[in-house]
Amino acid sequence: MQTMRMEATVDVQAVDPPVFYATGKQPAGAAPARLWPAALAPYRDLANLRFDFPLILTSGKAGAPVISLSDAVNAVLQEIAPPGRDGETLRRTVLRIERAVRKRAAGGAKGTLSEMWAAAAANLEEAARSEAQKAWAALGLDGTVLDCHQGTAAILMAHLWSAAQNEKARQFLATAAKLSAALSGILRADYLRSAEGRSPQSLQAAMGGALQSLFDFSEMSALLPKATARDALPESRRRRLAWALAVLEQQRFFAVPGKAHAPANEPYGFRFDNCGEALAAYRARLPELTELVKAMAVAELEIDGAYNEGRHDAYFSGFDAGSLRAEDRARFPDYLLVLGDESEPFDNTGVLAVLSSGIPLKIVLNVGDLATGDDPAALGVRSTDIATLAAALGNVFVLQSAGSNLYALHERLSRGLAFAGPALFSVYAPPATAHLPAYLAAAAAMQSRAFPAFTYDPGAGSDLASRFSLENNPQPEADWTTSVLEYADGDLQRVRQEVAFTFVDFLACDPRQLHHFAVAPAGYDRLAPAAEAIGVPSRSAVPFVAVSDADNRLARLIADERAVDAARRCLEKWHRLQELGGVHNSHAERLLERERKAWEERAPQASAAEAAPPSAPVAVAEAPVTEAPAEVERAPGDAFIETPRCSSCNECTQINSRMFAYNGDKQAYIADVKAGSFAQLVEAAENCQIGIIHPGKPVNLAESGLEALIERAGPFQ
Amino acid sequence: MTLEADCPLKMYEEHHDLADYQSGVPRWCSGCGDNAILTAMQRLCRDHNLRPEKTAFISGIGCSSRLPHYMRAYGFHSIHGRALPVAEGVKMARPDLDVFVVTGDGDCCSIGSAHWIHALRYNMNLTVVLHDNHVYGLTKKQASPTSPRGLKSNTTPRGAYLEALNPLTVTLGVQNVSFVAQAVDWIPETLYDILDAAFRHRGLSFVRVIQRCSEFLPKLFDPWLRDPQKVQLLTHEGALKPSAGLAAVYKNQLDHDPADMNRAREIASLEDPIPVGILYRNPDVPCYEDLRLSDKVRNAETIRAGLEAEFDRFTVWPGGKRTQRGRAQGGNADDANGSDG
Repeated sequence: MQTMRMEATVDVQAVDPPVFYATGKQPAGAAPARLWPAALAPYRDLANLRFDFPLILTSGKAGAPVISLSDAVNAVLQEIAPPGRDGETLRRTVLRIERAVRKRAAGGAKGTLSEMWAAAAANLEEAARSEAQKAWAALGLDGTVLDCHQGTAAILMAHLWSAAQNEKARQFLATAAKLSAALSGILRADYLRSAEGRSPQSLQAAMGGALQSLFDFSEMSALLPKATARDALPESRRRRLAWALAVLEQQRFFAVPGKAHAPANEPYGFRFDNCGEALAAYRARLPELTELVKAMAVAELEIDGAYNEGRHDAYFSGFDAGSLRAEDRARFPDYLLVLGDESEPFDNTGVLAVLSSGIPLKIVLNVGDLATGDDPAALGVRSTDIATLAAALGNVFVLQSAGSNLYALHERLSRGLAFAGPALFSVYAPPATAHLPAYLAAAAAMQSRAFPAFTYDPGAGSDLASRFSLENNPQPEADWTTSVLEYADGDLQRVRQEVAFTFVDFLACDPRQLHHFAVAPAGYDRLAPAAEAIGVPSRSAVPFVAVSDADNRLARLIADERAVDAARRCLEKWHRLQELGGVHNSHAERLLERERKAWEERAPQASAAEAAPPSAPVAVAEAPVTEAPAEVERAPGDAFIETPRCSSCNECTQINSRMFAYNGDKQAYIADVKAGSFAQLVEAAENCQIGIIHPGKPVNLAESGLEALIERAGPFQ
Repeated sequence: MTLEADCPLKMYEEHHDLADYQSGVPRWCSGCGDNAILTAMQRLCRDHNLRPEKTAFISGIGCSSRLPHYMRAYGFHSIHGRALPVAEGVKMARPDLDVFVVTGDGDCCSIGSAHWIHALRYNMNLTVVLHDNHVYGLTKKQASPTSPRGLKSNTTPRGAYLEALNPLTVTLGVQNVSFVAQAVDWIPETLYDILDAAFRHRGLSFVRVIQRCSEFLPKLFDPWLRDPQKVQLLTHEGALKPSAGLAAVYKNQLDHDPADMNRAREIASLEDPIPVGILYRNPDVPCYEDLRLSDKVRNAETIRAGLEAEFDRFTVWPGGKRTQRGRAQGGNADDANGSDG
């Protein structure tokens, strides 16, 4: 943290602290002027600091759809600026440009990075311009520059949503084009084989214009072999193919580049401003979507040659919206709703109702104000509860974050957009004020736990530990975030002090809430930091927060009891989130305590057992012996073939196909030794090149020439 | 909805028996090694439940090349030495088919040798089986490139003058080779296991099967048939693992890692004992059809436009005129053609 030099007092009319704490009443004129929480003082000159904003919403097809300016600059410097003094000049130039772009964006300028880069480079001296040009060439990306302000979440989410929908469109259109081409090919081939396709007129039409007079197409038509009925497509199949092709070509869910659409057949839009319209549009289009999914399934089966009318007709006749799987829906565009700006305030009930319907709606709640009226007791209730309630629905992707943290969470945002189901993105994005930039106002809400970040991702696993994450919250294990405050005291001595940034500090950022604060009288020492007072439900000490004025003078503001009560409710909500995120989980801690006690009780017994002589060996159940595969029972002298070594050469089966036969793997065995003579057995053994036939002893002892045969069989036994 | 494994429509998948892949009675001689390869092929199709209408066997000319007639699947009994380019065309146009190539030592290693070399380099996903009986059998005993030196035949009555070509070392010398194995027809278990591994490999899998010609070279392999020690099984975890029964007979075994190209080349040079197993396997070599994969849809219109553009480039127009259309489409055709030259 940067060292601040501050004076320890601010000249404001004093109040009686205990009375003010209990009543919240202050003498006229005692309300503090606009002051900063001391913890935020080092960040006043935000445009000169490097942080996540502005973002670049990239327009290229490759790479991530969003990158922070700082990350992009870091990457290019790593690539083109050598470490050490060699790259120092280039580094300085590029960082100057980055600073200039950031200032322009913070000043409200709009445009692309290339425009802002060029404008910044134009203000550089001549020598630096070529370096700026070189860095720009290496950067290799461009896009809209987006600073942190009240509308950031809506713009960023719309950009990420568009990128996701473009990818869906690319995949769908590629699949649909292949299916259409294949279906057309089958129908075209059928037409060419048909009587109409072989007619003289059709043949003539297929020939180039200038050459049509050279041929006798009637003769040619007569010469062509007539297609048999078996070759022609059955009428039911032809109708099915034509239907699937028509459904594919008339779909309105994705715009086909270069294709003209009749006004009544324009592609659908998927961006809405209120829940009712989105829901109605989804329901109205559902039958068409179902028909399209069905047509694609039928087309794939037909192209694969796997459509079986006896089996599939029944399946597809009952195909309705209930047959759609999550993967089927996920192939189609998601509906985007941006709610919460001034023109369209949202109501929690309507949002929850539409989310629980399970349809693929991506809702962005742009929360611009945590307060409802001037009552701190109501602070944050409406805005933070909707995200936790939505997470409780179970099958909804939920992400809550302050606008300042969106870039750190952009991969999670993309994951939510890719989730095959509804998603809610609740983002706190307050407007900038004269004293506090929008980025700091949003960051203060997250630092103070007024608007903590969390993600509930049903696609990440089956249990809460996999799904719920508190990632990106500062110091998630702690009640309040802390930082080190450095200042100069009245004797100009440096003081380092660890201070917590509580919900009471967050209230002090809001000019509308300043009537809950009063400046502490000089010399009054029965004050306690707000973090301590929040944890002690008594009036023994009056809570204060450290603030500074425009001249960097430090002061202590005492807060009234209503502000502290609001902080306690805020902390309770944070504790609930911590438990969901596995931090200080009460069930786990109780279980751990129980196990620890049980272990402590067992430990002395175990020690005693170790000291005792070893007990008698315990009988261990013997593992079942695997039975060896039963061999074919064969008496000595029986003829046999080593079947697994048979090479299926047909030598033996051609000698006697009843005596020698093939098994299921087409390998020979002796099927019936009595079906032939011993002479055939010996001949087969002699002809078998692998030598796997063993003739054994003759069965028919009356067979002629047996003595000579037995002698010939000798080498094969 | 897609027809992936998790699709409910898959429940209608048909299962096939060995007989579903059998067609006709082979006209090969009794005792011919082709029978063993045919049986192993049919077992492979059955065990992988390959759909006959999605399977193609492409052959050239020779005894072995009659195999597609005996498989109940699509087949193409093509011309001498040209099985590989035909198969490559089939695979390029229909990558969804399982394509097998059946070729002989004359077909592949003589007249078709140029196609053989370049098919290896293209590494398309084909299963190539070289039936190597060391002789031209269909034309009644002429020396082939793999005939042993000294073999007396109709074309070499004083004995073959040249050392036999070794298909394994040639194959292992070609850039992009990705799978090389050797089997013998008289050990059906390893023949099947090697064909199975070859089929599972993505890329061109080249399997040389040393096979007996019972008619013209009936005694050539007798020493190897009678003495199991003269066959060396190449074993390795994840490669070939003989059953206990086979291992008891064929005790001459060598642990060989198929990823080791240098060792594979040494083993390929062995003539006695005959190495049997997977010599080389590299699943990371890219397939040509993947490298040339295009999102562009080919339909009647795009094919017609491409052909028109190509023809227009060579059309002689009356009076030496060329239309604007001809020039424009001729220019586009260069891009669309995509010829490797």
